[in-house]
Amino acid sequence: MESISQELRQSVLQAAIQGKLVEQRPEEGTAEDLYKQIQAEKQALIKAGKLKKEKPLLAIAEEEKPFDIPESWKWVRFLSVVNIATNLVQPTGYPDYKHIAPDNIEKGTGKLLPCKTVAEDNVASANHFFVEGQIIYSKIRPLLRKAVIAPFNGLCSADMYPLRTKLDSQYILHYLLSDAFNHQIADVMSNRVKMPKINQEEMSKVLLPLPPLTEQRRIVNRVKELMALIDNLEKIENELRALHQAFPGDMKAALLQAAMQGRLTKQLPEDGTAQDLYKEIQTEKLAMVAAGKLKKEKSLPEIDDDEKPFDIPDNWTWVRLNSVISLLSGSDLTPEKYNAQSNGIPYITGASNIDGPDLIINRWTTSPNNIAHEGDLLLTCKGTVGKTHILKEKDVHIARQIMAITPIMVDTLYVQYFIENQVEALKAKAKSMIPGIERENVLKLIFPLPPLAEQHRIVERLNLLLPLCDTMQSSL
Amino acid sequence: MSLASLIKRLKDIMRKDIGVDGDAQRLAQIVWMVFLKVMDYKEEEAELTVDGYVPVIPEGYRWRDWAVGASARDQLTGPDLLDFVNNKLIPVLGGNPITVNGEKFIPFEKTDPRSMMVKDFMGDCVNYMKNGYLLRDVVNLFNEVEFDDSAKAHEFNDIYEQLLRGLQAAGTMGEFYTNRAITDFAISKVNPQLGGALADWAMGTGGFLISALNYMQAQVKPGDVEGQKKLQKAVRGGEAKPMPYKLGITNLLLHGIDLPNIRYGDSLAEKSLNEFRGSDLVDYCALNPPYGGVALPEDLASFPADKRSSETADLFVALAVKRLKPGGRGVIVLPDGFLFGTDNAKVEIKKYLLKECNLHTVIRLPQSCFAPYTSIATNLLFFDKGENTQEIWFYRLDIPEGYKHFSKTKPMLREHFACVDEWWDNRREIVDEKDDEAKSTTYKAKCYTIDEIEATGYSLDLCGYPVKEKVILSPEETMTQFIQKRTALDAAMDKKLEQIKALLGVK
Repeated sequence: MESISQELRQSVLQAAIQGKLVEQRPEEGTAEDLYKQIQAEKQALIKAGKLKKEKPLLAIAEEEKPFDIPESWKWVRFLSVVNIATNLVQPTGYPDYKHIAPDNIEKGTGKLLPCKTVAEDNVASANHFFVEGQIIYSKIRPLLRKAVIAPFNGLCSADMYPLRTKLDSQYILHYLLSDAFNHQIADVMSNRVKMPKINQEEMSKVLLPLPPLTEQRRIVNRVKELMALIDNLEKIENELRALHQAFPGDMKAALLQAAMQGRLTKQLPEDGTAQDLYKEIQTEKLAMVAAGKLKKEKSLPEIDDDEKPFDIPDNWTWVRLNSVISLLSGSDLTPEKYNAQSNGIPYITGASNIDGPDLIINRWTTSPNNIAHEGDLLLTCKGTVGKTHILKEKDVHIARQIMAITPIMVDTLYVQYFIENQVEALKAKAKSMIPGIERENVLKLIFPLPPLAEQHRIVERLNLLLPLCDTMQSSL
Repeated sequence: MSLASLIKRLKDIMRKDIGVDGDAQRLAQIVWMVFLKVMDYKEEEAELTVDGYVPVIPEGYRWRDWAVGASARDQLTGPDLLDFVNNKLIPVLGGNPITVNGEKFIPFEKTDPRSMMVKDFMGDCVNYMKNGYLLRDVVNLFNEVEFDDSAKAHEFNDIYEQLLRGLQAAGTMGEFYTNRAITDFAISKVNPQLGGALADWAMGTGGFLISALNYMQAQVKPGDVEGQKKLQKAVRGGEAKPMPYKLGITNLLLHGIDLPNIRYGDSLAEKSLNEFRGSDLVDYCALNPPYGGVALPEDLASFPADKRSSETADLFVALAVKRLKPGGRGVIVLPDGFLFGTDNAKVEIKKYLLKECNLHTVIRLPQSCFAPYTSIATNLLFFDKGENTQEIWFYRLDIPEGYKHFSKTKPMLREHFACVDEWWDNRREIVDEKDDEAKSTTYKAKCYTIDEIEATGYSLDLCGYPVKEKVILSPEETMTQFIQKRTALDAAMDKKLEQIKALLGVK
């Protein structure tokens, strides 16, 4: 999405080089006069032997002119008012001078990035020696728009041109960064297939809209003021963008938290209390242990008041997750233990098997060990962490990357919402070097337990509300 | 009896009544009963102490007439009680006519201030209970609370305070209750003096006014009857919503104010801002206006065009500035949104505050101090009317050691302000410790000049919390905050675009 700041910047540059940014003032003379003056000076230098005689540049046909310019301006060939100041030297004589390569120039902004000396950059081949005030222009991949006014004397790579001009260098720099200039560059290079590098002959075709000298300076000042305001605008735009991006996620988190605080649903006396539910669950657990269906687990410490993250309704209660679920860890099977021929029960290895509500099964095993059952909540604890899936298959073997949660008299969907909300915190707690979710930390989780009927109501409300946040996200 | 047992017994009784559904209705049920009992107690006291005093509440309708009974036989109960309460007590005390033996008349015709207070109060009260026997049980419960002993009465004050605090914890009515630690701290810094008047035009349940009364009570020497009289006129205010109004009035009555000077209505629509003068102005003010409130058309119409913010909290700032007398002192609790907001109306109101008053101190409060009602970040702004602001001191109060956050069971306490008290008279810059030298310097306390404030575009978001703990707000607050920030940013963008446009226009 193009931002308004970026559009404005280009728009301002375009207006600048079309003569629409500031007024024309007759007392400043005409571009025609300026042009003649520059050519006359050149001829004088050539006569004095100080400048090489150049190939004459082609005259400009009407059809070539990209847009209209004011009467007092003049379309000229870029290289008729800007000189390529070739000055190749061997780097060994200039070790302490700063070195500019394309990598040291920011794309499209005319800003110089930090650069090192010739010695530090290990410059070996011939480089141009440039002088402060000259414009350094990258002729390699020119459409990246890398150009900068040299703030010091130094060396630049032979893939760059030092440009010298009698015109306002800042005006020239703006032009080099503009769409108008770069469209022409693209045109003259359009037949190129290999490494894009513009040469002098191609550059000689490019045109420049020339204003009188003082007007150039006025344009440059105006552009500077406007760009400063646009920079401010961009900051605000970025903040707005970040705000819009964060909002759907924030809403989801707020809704989940409100759900877990009992604020999305009404507490009804006919639901009974979670305290009673908890007692029933413990009784059920004891029965399951006696029947051999559940391993007796070590008990975990009581919940401290400090650990309770928020207040919950009176008929709810805080519990440790382990007291209302049983948790199965997985184990990896060696290749001889599994097959791809559908023999036995499915073997689920990790997040790649989970596709939302569906399970992608590509391995089976006839010697299962760690078996998760229909209705269990699967949670990926290694690799891609935090994916959940409620098992619709009867039995599957789970690998080490997966845990299976069997809620005991608790709504599995409610537990699923709870776990999804805890994933980040669980990841942060992992102690070992390998990132993931640890069994201990899942069991220790502090879980707000509502009466069963209210759990169902909470799930219903979240099912209605959360998708609305998703649609918000996609419409941005 | 303790509050816990009172509440528990109340709940146990009311749970059996199908008419009372939820905390809000339970509260509405309790509040008028407490009011009538307190009123009667005060009127009995007045009969004993004031020559020729006649209770304003008509005979037959006083608590002593219908609610008390020496034995079960004397007590009105069941359908009779229900009929009395629904068809006589409430309508009559609201000032309405009743028909007795074919004749229609108005038993409660008086229009003196005390009578009007009763009528205002009872006029929109509702009896939710449908079972007269249960209603009798509730009435008897309140009869067990004694007032004739000032210690006991004081105990009931505490019980009432706790009841209000319990409501905040329950999430109901939370927005009308400001934590006592905060009100006591703020009042101590405003330092109201006996003889002056302190106002809260968003009174809620009266927290600031009670803090102020306690503060000024301490200035009354034992036996100083004149001083005691001055207390009666020490506080005033307004409240728009029925439930907090009733709770606040009762709270003030319980704290010894015979005739609370509280306007029942929307303080923002009372008068045009420019019309407040003379006795409308007060020596001190302290308020915690509701957040996220949307200004009604009549509110906006009362304010000059440049100050018309759509948020009521902003309008209350302008109201407070206007209604303080020159030399007056005030404090207002405001959310972060006011501090960083840069939309036109907010900026105009901030400029107004900074020009008419010396906003000398801003205390930033930790996010959970209003838990569990809200986690919105709030601040205390202290200002003196009469001189403009040259500089503002900011101080950020951090969560104390040993607390991850405040909660119902671990609320903010007065002693948590001890560090602010120490700093207040000994103001100095305090730099935050840096764990990473590369990070820029942040301050816990610092003084900023008015020029620096102007340069930020009047953002007062200074000395903020360095690590904004990602606190999850309620869904409603999340949406409100998003809209506030988006509006502020949109406004900032518009302003910037205007500036660019203006510059483009200069050829």
